[in-house]
Amino acid sequence: MKKIYAVAALLSLLGIADALYLTIEHLTGQTVRCTITSGCSEVLSSQYAVVAGIPLAAVGAAAYFSVFSLATLAAFGYRIAATLLTPLVMAMFFVSVWLFYLQAFVIRQFCQYCLISAAITTCLLVIVISLRWFRSATR
Amino acid sequence: MKRILPFIIILAVLAVALSSAWYLTRAIPASPTTPPNQPSPVTKGSQTTPAQSQQQPATATGVPGAEPAHVLGPPNAPVKLEEFGDFECPPCGLFHPILEQMHAEFGDKLQITFREFPLVPTHQHALAAASSAEAAGLQGKFWEMHDLLYEHQNDWKKEFDVRPVFEGYAKQIGLDVERYKRDLGGDLVAQRIFQDGKRGHSLGVKGTPTVFMNGREVPFENLPAEKLRVVIQNELRSSGR
Repeated sequence: MKKIYAVAALLSLLGIADALYLTIEHLTGQTVRCTITSGCSEVLSSQYAVVAGIPLAAVGAAAYFSVFSLATLAAFGYRIAATLLTPLVMAMFFVSVWLFYLQAFVIRQFCQYCLISAAITTCLLVIVISLRWFRSATR
Repeated sequence: MKRILPFIIILAVLAVALSSAWYLTRAIPASPTTPPNQPSPVTKGSQTTPAQSQQQPATATGVPGAEPAHVLGPPNAPVKLEEFGDFECPPCGLFHPILEQMHAEFGDKLQITFREFPLVPTHQHALAAASSAEAAGLQGKFWEMHDLLYEHQNDWKKEFDVRPVFEGYAKQIGLDVERYKRDLGGDLVAQRIFQDGKRGHSLGVKGTPTVFMNGREVPFENLPAEKLRVVIQNELRSSGR
């Protein structure tokens, strides 16, 4: 079980790197280049990329850092961290679904870095749900 | 020790993340501040003629761009703004009406210079669009083509072949289309784009739109109209105008 929390922590490190890259590009005013999809500029310059003056990528980086902290603590046996991890990851997943919807149906362009983030969050959700299921099955 | 180890790991990751962010943010080159030699500008309307341009346009240090530059506004304007743009870049398309608004609001107090910075290969038609604007510029209609390209960006960017679309624009603004087509593939157009790009690279431009005001780069987050207006007003205040 501890190893699975370590995997969650490693995944969230990837999320931190992804979100941090987008935050830096946003703050320095660079045009983010897509190498797989073609809509990075459209998505990242849209009105949805900033919330209350804060780049959404920075909020994402903070969320991934929280997941990393909780998963690391959980891997070292802190039960309260394991309990908090599930609602946090679920909230991040719902935000990812909303952002995916915006890309697909409102902006009609996809940003690969946002898709990578959505994939990481989905993996994290699978991990925390599996852990919950495993815990309730072994009780 | 085992109890505090996770906290050490968390703090270490936080330190690495923050220091990487700090380093990478600073690694974007700061813009120089001293104006260099001035090109004689190509103008829109009656605001400036090459003969009048005895003063510096909106420039910073770095190698010179294409000459004459594409300039709006008088050469003695206290605020000189130099934009590096890509006609296919969506943020540049969004910035275009903002710049028009600033031009209308500040009139003779603001001079705007446009520099070509097509992001190739990210934007497949950016170079064709830049060539089209430069070819129009050779017939004195750069700004007319510039405006059409930005205003119709969403129409042409998804086309497979943009040449007929741009030729349509050339006809619309009254260019000699045969000359326009010849100029498109000519050395002069290619040299102008290359020279602007060279200037951009020498100033550390990495993305578009990148805007310099009196030689200092305006941060991207200050480009929305309400913020840019304040930046220009502050610049005017500091210049005593």
